[in-house]
Amino acid sequence: MTRSTRIVALAMSLGLAAAFAGAAPASAQAPKYGGHLNLMQREDLSQGFAVHETSTIATSFPSMPCFNNLVVFDQSKRAETVDNLVGELAEKWSWQDNYRNLVFFLRKDVKWHDGQPFTSKDVKFTFDMVREAPEAAAKLRINPRKDWYTNVEKIEAPDPYTVVFHLKRPQPGLLVMLASGYSPVYAAHVNPASYRTGCIGTGPFKLKEWRKGEFVDYVKNTDYFMKGRPYLDTLRYVVIKERGTRTAALQAGQLDVSFPGETTKTAAEQLKKAVPGLVITPVAQAVSDNIILNTKKPPFDNPKVRLAVSYAIDRRALISAVHQGGAVPGASQQPKPYGVWGLLEKDLLALPGYGKPADMKAHAKKLLAEAGITPQNPLRVEMSTRAIAMYVDLASFVINELKQVGIEATLKQVETAQWHPMATRGEYQIGANLTGLGVDEPDANYYENYACGSPRNYSQYCSEEVMKMIEQQSQELNPQKRLALVSALQKKVEADAARPLLDWRLDYFTVWPHVKGLVPHDNIYNFGRMADVWRDKQ
Amino acid sequence: MKTYIAQRLGIGLLTLLGMSIVIFGMLRLAPGDIVDILFSTGGYVNPSERAAIEKELGLDRPVWVQYVEWIRQIVTGDLGKSYRYDLPAWEIIRPLIPVTLELAVLSLIVAVALGVPLGVISAVRQDTGLDYALRVFSLAGLSMPSFWLGMVIILSLVAWLGWIPPVTYVSPRENFWLHAVQFTLPALAVGYRSSALIMRITRSSLLEVMREDYIRTARAKGQSGRVVIWRHALQNAILPVVTVIGIEFAFLIGGLVVTETVFNLPGVARFLVEAILWRDYPIVQNLVMFIAIVVILSNLFVDMLYGFLDPRVRYGH
Amino acid sequence: MATRPLGVEVPGVALALRRPGAWTVLARFCRKKPLGAIGGFLMLVILFTAVFANQLQTHDPIATDAGQSLARPGADHWLGSDHLGRDIYSRIVHGARVSLIVGLASTLLGSVLGGVIGLLSGYVGGKTDLITQRVMDILQGLPLLVLALVMSAALGPSIPNVVIAISIPIIPRAARVIRASVLSIREMQYVEAARAVGLRHLRIAFRHILPNTVGPFIVLCTAQLGSAILVEAALSFLGLGVPEPYPSWGRMLSVSAAEYAQKAPWLVLFPGLAISLAVFGSNLLGDALRDTLDPRLRGA
Repeated sequence: MTRSTRIVALAMSLGLAAAFAGAAPASAQAPKYGGHLNLMQREDLSQGFAVHETSTIATSFPSMPCFNNLVVFDQSKRAETVDNLVGELAEKWSWQDNYRNLVFFLRKDVKWHDGQPFTSKDVKFTFDMVREAPEAAAKLRINPRKDWYTNVEKIEAPDPYTVVFHLKRPQPGLLVMLASGYSPVYAAHVNPASYRTGCIGTGPFKLKEWRKGEFVDYVKNTDYFMKGRPYLDTLRYVVIKERGTRTAALQAGQLDVSFPGETTKTAAEQLKKAVPGLVITPVAQAVSDNIILNTKKPPFDNPKVRLAVSYAIDRRALISAVHQGGAVPGASQQPKPYGVWGLLEKDLLALPGYGKPADMKAHAKKLLAEAGITPQNPLRVEMSTRAIAMYVDLASFVINELKQVGIEATLKQVETAQWHPMATRGEYQIGANLTGLGVDEPDANYYENYACGSPRNYSQYCSEEVMKMIEQQSQELNPQKRLALVSALQKKVEADAARPLLDWRLDYFTVWPHVKGLVPHDNIYNFGRMADVWRDKQ
Repeated sequence: MKTYIAQRLGIGLLTLLGMSIVIFGMLRLAPGDIVDILFSTGGYVNPSERAAIEKELGLDRPVWVQYVEWIRQIVTGDLGKSYRYDLPAWEIIRPLIPVTLELAVLSLIVAVALGVPLGVISAVRQDTGLDYALRVFSLAGLSMPSFWLGMVIILSLVAWLGWIPPVTYVSPRENFWLHAVQFTLPALAVGYRSSALIMRITRSSLLEVMREDYIRTARAKGQSGRVVIWRHALQNAILPVVTVIGIEFAFLIGGLVVTETVFNLPGVARFLVEAILWRDYPIVQNLVMFIAIVVILSNLFVDMLYGFLDPRVRYGH
Repeated sequence: MATRPLGVEVPGVALALRRPGAWTVLARFCRKKPLGAIGGFLMLVILFTAVFANQLQTHDPIATDAGQSLARPGADHWLGSDHLGRDIYSRIVHGARVSLIVGLASTLLGSVLGGVIGLLSGYVGGKTDLITQRVMDILQGLPLLVLALVMSAALGPSIPNVVIAISIPIIPRAARVIRASVLSIREMQYVEAARAVGLRHLRIAFRHILPNTVGPFIVLCTAQLGSAILVEAALSFLGLGVPEPYPSWGRMLSVSAAEYAQKAPWLVLFPGLAISLAVFGSNLLGDALRDTLDPRLRGA
C-alpha cells in the first residue's frame, strides 16, 4: 500500500469507528454515582407520607422514594402494562387456582429504614388495613382505596416470605392495582399515623428532613436491597406554591425536575425557547376532564338532557381552547397509545361530541327539545366547579358551549374544602371535574367512579346493567375478551352520559439534560421511585 | 414612666384578648374545616370517618369550650397542635419568625434610608421639578401592588439573566452572601413601598418646621442653610416621622404576605396564607396573635421613642 | 367654618364677595394643585371606563378563543390576549368596573360605618368612648390584608363578601380620623353655644358637627380607596378575592400570567399597570384634596 492509501484507509477506519460510536445508544452511557437533585413540589405534602390516606399527587410523588411495592411498573419504561410489571418486595409471584389466589414470594434481604427486617407480616398488615378486614391490626383514618380490595377474601402469610391473597372470585386486575404508586407497603411495627409526619419505608431513599412548607430531604439508603442502587446521594423536593416562581426556578436551573402534571404545552414551548437544552417528554397523565351530572335531581335525571350536554361539548375545540392542544380525546379509559384499554378510533369518533360541531349541537338541541327545552323555554342551571384555575378554565369553556344549545349555566365556584362534601351529598346540578386514576386498570376506574354507592361516584349514577358489565369484565381472564367487554362498558357509560368524559390531559414533563434515567410514564402517580435516576456531572 | 408602660401593656393585653375572640369566631365562620380539607385530599367524604376525625381533633366540642381550652393552653405556654401537621404549633412556627422579622426590619431600613433623604431633598427643593419628580416616584411605590413588583422582578431576572434568587432559604451561617442576595430583593420591593409614606411625612413635617419663626431667626442670624436644616429643622421634624415609621411597620407586615409568597421565603406571613386555606386553626390563631403582638409592641416602642425624643412630651402622672 | 350672612352690605364689594361658582372652584383647584388635577383626571377616566365598559370593550371579556391564545398586542387584540384567547384590553376595561365597585363599596361602607362610630364615640365621650376605642383597637391591631384574608376565607368567595371583608379593616381607621376631627370641633364655641341654648345632643351631632367632618371624611375616603383597590388585588392574587367570571385585575395576575409571562409579558404588565394607575390617581387626588380641604391634616 502506498503511504497515501494507508492514510486514507486509516482515516476511513477512524471515520467508521466514530460513526459506530455516535450511533451507539445513549443508554450505553454508564450511570455515575453521587450527586443531588432538586425536584419541583407544587404544594406541601397533604398528609405527609401517609399514601394510603390520600389520593393526591402532592403526597404520592414525593413519597415514592421512601417506599417499595410488592410489584411496580418498570420505572425505565413509559408504558404501564401487565408485561412491564417488575418485582420489588416480591421476587416472584404467581396466579393460582384460575386467578383466584395470588401468591407472592418475597425477598429475604430487605430491611426497613430503622433496621427491622421486612417480612410477610408487613404485607398482610398493610393490605388488611387498607381493605378494612375485620381482623386488621390497625385502622386508617381516611381510606380512599378500600374499594380496590373488596374482592379480597383473606390475606394469608404462611411463612415470613410468602403472602397469599385469597380472592372471592377471579380478578386479574388486582396485580396491576398493586403496582400503583398508591399501593406501597407500610411497616407493621410502626403506627400508621406516624406516616403523616415521617416515613419508615424500605425504599431507595431514607427521609432525612421534612421542613414543613419548605422542602423534603432524602438521603441515599445504603442498605437498599437492590445492590448498586440508588445512584444519587440526596434528593430535595422544593415546595414552591407560586406558579410563576416555580417555572422561573426550573428555568433558572434551581430545580432539575418539573412536577408531574404541571407543565402545559405552552409553558413547555416557552421553557424550551429559553433553555434549548431542556429535555421535554410529552406523556399522558391519567387525569381526565369530565362533567359530573346529578342524576338524582332534575333536570339531569333525564338521560336525554344529559346526553344533550355531552353532544353540546365539542371535544376537539375544548382541547384546543383550554389546553392549547395539550390533551387527547378519549372515553372513560385512557386512550391508546397512552392506555391499553382505549377505544378504537372509529368507536371514539362515534361518541357524542366528536362529529362535526354543527351537527353535534343540532343533535343536542333536538334532544333538549324532546325534553321540553327550547329557546323560548331555556334551561337555567348552576355549574359548580372548584375554585382553582384549571377547573375554572374548563368550566368557562363548557358554559360557552352549553349556551349555544340553549342551556344557560352560571358559574359557581366552590372552595376545595366543600367540593367533595357538595358532590357526595348531591348538592349540585352540573359540575366541571378532573379525575386522576392511580392506575390504568378498569377495576380501579369503574369501581371508584361508576359503581353504585361508591363515594366517588359523584353523579350518584347507578345502573344494574353497568354493574353487571363491571363485574363481568373484572373476572374475564382472556385479555382480548376483556378488552371487548371494557370497550362495550366505555360505550355504555358514554351513552348514559352520567359523567361525560371530555379529554385526557398531557404533561410535558421537563428535566434538565444532566438528569438521566428518569422516565415519565403515561400516569403521573407511578414513576417517582428515583432508584435508577442518576446525574451526569457537567 | 413605669406606670405608663404597665398601663399600655395592660391595655394591649385586653386588646389581644378581644382580638383572640374575633379571630377565633371568624375562623369558625368559615365554611369547611380541616376535616373537610383532609377528606378532599382523599378525594371522597364518609360521614362516620369524618365524625371520628372531628372527635380526635376535638372539633366536636362546643365552640366556647374550644375557645376556653385554647386560652388556657396559651396561658400555660402551650400553643396547641397543628391540625394539618399533627405537631406542636410552636415547633412549626418558631423557625418562621426570624425570617419574617429579618425581612421586616430590612424592609424598614430600606424604607427609612430611601424615604428620609428623599423627603428632605423634596422639602428643600419644594415645588421645583425635582420635588414633583420625587413625589411622583414615591407615590408610584405606594400605588404598585407589592406582589406585582415582586413578580416583575423575578420574571425580569429569569428572562434577562437566566437567574433568580435562591428559592430555598439560605441561612446567613450557611452562606452569608447568598443569604444577603436572597433577602435584598424582597426587602427592596417592600421597602420601596413603605418609603413613600415616610418620604411624604418627612417632607411635610420638614416644610412645617421650616416655616417656623426660630428657623427664620436662625437664618437671619446668618447660620448657613444646611446647618439650619440639619440641626434645627430635622431634629424637630423627626417626631412625626417616628410615628409614621411605627404605623408603617404594621402596614408592612401586610405587604410581607404576598412578598414572601412570590419570593418563596419561609416566613410567618406565607405560612399564614397556607394555614388559612387549610383551616389549620391552631396555626392561624397563633400566627395572627403573633402579628398582633408585634404590632402592639412596635406601637408601644414608637410611643416610647416619641417620648424620649421630644422633651415636651412626658408620660405617666 | 359655618357660613353666616354678612352683616353689612357694601355696594360693589357685595358682588366680589358672592360665593364662587363650581367651575371657578374647579379651575382654581387645577391651577393650584396640578398633581391633584391629574389624579382627578385619572379617576374620571377609570370611572368612565367602568361605567361604559360594555361600550368600550372590543371583545366579550369572558369569551375564549383557542386560535388567539397568547396573541401579541396588535390590531385585533389591542393589549394582547391570554392563554385562553381572552382579550386583555376588554378584561381590563371590565376589571375597572369590578375594582371600582369593590373599592368604592368597601371604602364607603367602612368609612361610613366607621365615621358614624367615630362621630358618636367622640361626641358622647366618657366610658362609651373608651370601650369603643378598645374595640376599634382590636380591629386595627391587624394589618389590613391579614384581617381581610381571614374575613374573606370566613365568608367565602363572592363580590358582596369581598366588599365586607375589605370594609371591616377600614372601619377602625375611619373611626379614628372622624373621632379626632369631632374632638377638635366639639370644643368650639358655637357648639357650646348650641348646647347652652338647649339643643338636643343628636341634633347638635348631626347638624353642626357632621358637616364639618366632611372634609376629613373625603380625604379619608380617597386615601382608603387606594388601599382598598390594592387589598382587593392582593386577595384576588391569593385566590380569595372576586371569583370568576368577573374579570379582576388582581386575579388576572395570578396563576397563568406569571407562567406565560416570558412568552407574553403583556399578561403581567397591563393588569399591574391598571391597578397602579388607579391607586396612583386616587392617591394624587386624595393628597390634593387633603391639602385643600384641611391644611391641619397635612402633617398627620
